[in-house]
Formats: sequence, structure tokens, C-alpha cells
Amino acid sequence: MTELAKTPLFDQHVALGGKIVPFAGFEMPVQYKSGALREYTAVREGGAGIFDISHMGQVRVTGSGALAFLQYVTTNDVSKLIPGQVHYSALLNAGGTFIDDITTYKISDTEYYLCINAANRHKDVAHLQAEAKAFAVSVVDESDDTTLLALQGAASQAALQPMVNSELESIGYYKFARVQVNGVDAIVSRTGYTGEDGFEIYIPNSIAISVWKTLLVHGAEPIGLAARDMLRTEMGYALYGHEISDAVTPVEAKLMWITKLDKGDFIGKTAVEARRAAGPERRLIALKLTERGIPREHYKVFVDGVESGEVTSGMHSPLAGGVALAYVQPEHADNGDLSVEIRGKLVAAERTTLPFVRSNVRR
Amino acid sequence: MTIPANLKYTKEHEWVRVEGDCAIFGISDHAQEALGDIVFVELPEIGRTLEAGEAYAVVESVKAVSDVYAPVAGEVIEVNEALEGEPELVNSEAYGAGWIAKVKMSGADSVELMSDDEYTLFLEE
Repeated sequence: MTELAKTPLFDQHVALGGKIVPFAGFEMPVQYKSGALREYTAVREGGAGIFDISHMGQVRVTGSGALAFLQYVTTNDVSKLIPGQVHYSALLNAGGTFIDDITTYKISDTEYYLCINAANRHKDVAHLQAEAKAFAVSVVDESDDTTLLALQGAASQAALQPMVNSELESIGYYKFARVQVNGVDAIVSRTGYTGEDGFEIYIPNSIAISVWKTLLVHGAEPIGLAARDMLRTEMGYALYGHEISDAVTPVEAKLMWITKLDKGDFIGKTAVEARRAAGPERRLIALKLTERGIPREHYKVFVDGVESGEVTSGMHSPLAGGVALAYVQPEHADNGDLSVEIRGKLVAAERTTLPFVRSNVRR
Repeated sequence: MTIPANLKYTKEHEWVRVEGDCAIFGISDHAQEALGDIVFVELPEIGRTLEAGEAYAVVESVKAVSDVYAPVAGEVIEVNEALEGEPELVNSEAYGAGWIAKVKMSGADSVELMSDDEYTLFLEE
């Protein structure tokens, strides 16, 4: 058992009454004093929440071969990005299944910035550095030097603007700017994982505590992992290790929209094409219980009384009730009576569309 | 954290209040605080016979699912249906409006029960 890492904000979390749990190799707050439901409400209902997501990794890709390299190792079409734009993407292995899901930031034609999942960081970096040998590119893991904060909720811009030396209003959805936050160089993107307006803020560790404290003074509330998971599940956003893993391809995970088969060769392309031609092994669906109960991860899903798959993420949504994402047999994705087995009983459910709750991101 | 003197407690952090030949069950303030925001309670059926120590209800917080065990044996004669609409009562009024079930006791069968002082010591250990 390796020792758990701490982010630069660990002492702040403890001071705020954070309940600390192990998560992706880090000691992270699952909730603070007010509790997960109030934290969730602060973000969903007009406030601003601040999340320490410094456990996530950052990789800088530079060099004349940066575009060709990223076209080859990621699924989305990097040639479509303009400087200052971000997109959601993925790293696949040759078998077409997920190594990770990522976001790609285009700084310039020769410089890109990737945000990767904490649990996959070392695997991703090893993979990227191995593949980089064939390209005129350097791949540098900057995770240990970078603090990443998510500021989410309708009041985010008002909370952040006084700390930034440029107009946040001009940053569109899935766009970013290189700005100064409290006088120090930073990247601020209008992105997030909650379905609310807000930002992700990349800063050096040296100013992590001062930025965190200033945002609290500006009215942002600290939000733990439990509320973060509620907010992302309500949007139906995939989470590595749940909806996506090295056992599924983008065909199963409904992520063909970030998998551009027409952009040229990339790792996993042939396998994804073959899977698409053969049809998915299972399909991801969104469901909502029509009786009381909470569908939770790994609960079995039945169709017409026969076991068909299992829940990958599920929750009690204060706004939508018992909702879940689940994999089922392909023939059951659209047809048949759904139910979820909860403590030995089949609880009725129906298919629904995503997001489970209205998204308020700024398009 | 409150630990009323008129109740008995179990090592699983349930409380029980005996009234004549009936007993009322709930979970302790310590238990609700450890669980966090409770968002669902599955109540037992009226008429169900419980043995002492038997799991008779389920409370679910945002992240966890927990069984609740009967401190004493008996037959369920009443359940707190208010919890179906307001499970958060278990958080806000663990010893009052957040009660879970009432049983008619059958004999003296019980798990090991503690007084308020004994439970206070138990929590400190």
C-alpha cells in the first residue's frame, strides 16, 4: 500500500471540517461541515462552489509535431481546435477501449495542454511518452506543480472576476484564456463537470491557498467529492471506472461524438470501426425509477424480468428522484420493461433522456 | 452530540425506548452524523416478526447504504411513514420525529443494551 498523496489544499479542507477519504491515491474531502446535500444545492441553485480537483493530472505537449501526435493518440479531431479552445477527448489502446478520457486545450499550433484523470495519470503519461518517440514532440507531466480548482455555479463569474486581470465574460463555453489570477499566470477555462456555468482554474501550487481563500471570501462554498458526483451524475457525464474503462469502446459508451473516424489514423481506430460494424456488446442507457428507491452502482438491471446488465452510476437526485446510468444488452437498450434489483426486489424503472436535470451551461 | 438519558443504546448505534410492552427504535445522533445526509429510508412491513439483532430497515445516505438492526425482539406494529417523504428527519431529529419503527415486544430477548453513560463511554473508546 503506497502512501496517499495530499494536494496543496489539504490543510484547508481539514480546517473547513472536511471529512477526508482516500480517492484516486489522494486524501480528499468527500464533504465539508454543511453536508453533501447543501453543497450540491449551493452549486445547483444560484451560488458558487469551489472544488479542489488538484488530484487530476496535467500534461503539456509541445513541439512541431504536437498536432500530428495528438491526432494519433487522441480520438477527437485536434485540427478543428483554434487557440483558446478546449475539447473533450479520449485516449484509446489498440483494442479500441479507453485508457482515459481527457480534455485537450490548444494554446498554439505547437503547444497543447491535456487534463487527465488522477487514477490514470501514470498510465497515461507512460503511454504518451512511449508514443511520443515517433514524433517531434515533448510530453511533460506538470501534475505535481499544478493546482486545479473548479468553480461552478451561476455566481462563479462574479466570484472570480475581481481576481483576474481580464474580462471573463469574453471566455465562451469550452474556451479558455491565459490570464493572471491574483497576479500570477494561470489558465482559466469555461468548463466543468456539473452542468452549471463556471470555470476550471489552473494555477501554480504556490498560490493555491491564497486563491482558495479569496474565492471563499467572495462567497464560494467548498464542495466535496460526494456533491461533485451528484452533480455530474445528474448530467449523465461519464466517469472513468464507471461508464468508461479498458473494457468498453466509445461505441458502447455513447462517445462516438468525440471519436472522429474521418480524421485519419489514430490508436484504436481500426478496433472501433470493427466494433461499430459488428454492433456494440452492450449499450449505455439512462433510467429513472418509477417506484421508490435508489439505484446504485453494480445493482443489476432486468428487462422483462431477465437480467440484462448493471448500473454504472446511480443516485438519489433531489430534482429527478432515483436515476442511473446502466449498461444493458444491446437489444434491450430501446425495448422491454426495465427494472433494477434493489436488495432482492425488482423496482420498476423507465428509460429517460440525458441530462436527468436541466443543464445551465452557457452555450 | 446528544445522548438522552431515557433511552438504551446498542453497539450498532441504534436507540430503543420501552413503553409498557412496546418498544420504539431509531438510530443515534452519532449514527446519523456519521452517515451524513439521509436521502432514503426503507421501512419494515407491519406485522413482521423481528428477532433481536435482525436487520429490519435500511437507511441510505448520499453515498452509503446501511442496515438498521432491531435492539429487541418483537412484532412491528407501527412504522414512521413520514420518513418516506422526509428521510432527513433521521438527521434533524434522530431521537424524536426521526424514529423508525415500533414493535410489540415478544419476551425479553434483546441484544446487549447500554445506558446513556455506557454508550457515552462506548463512543469514547
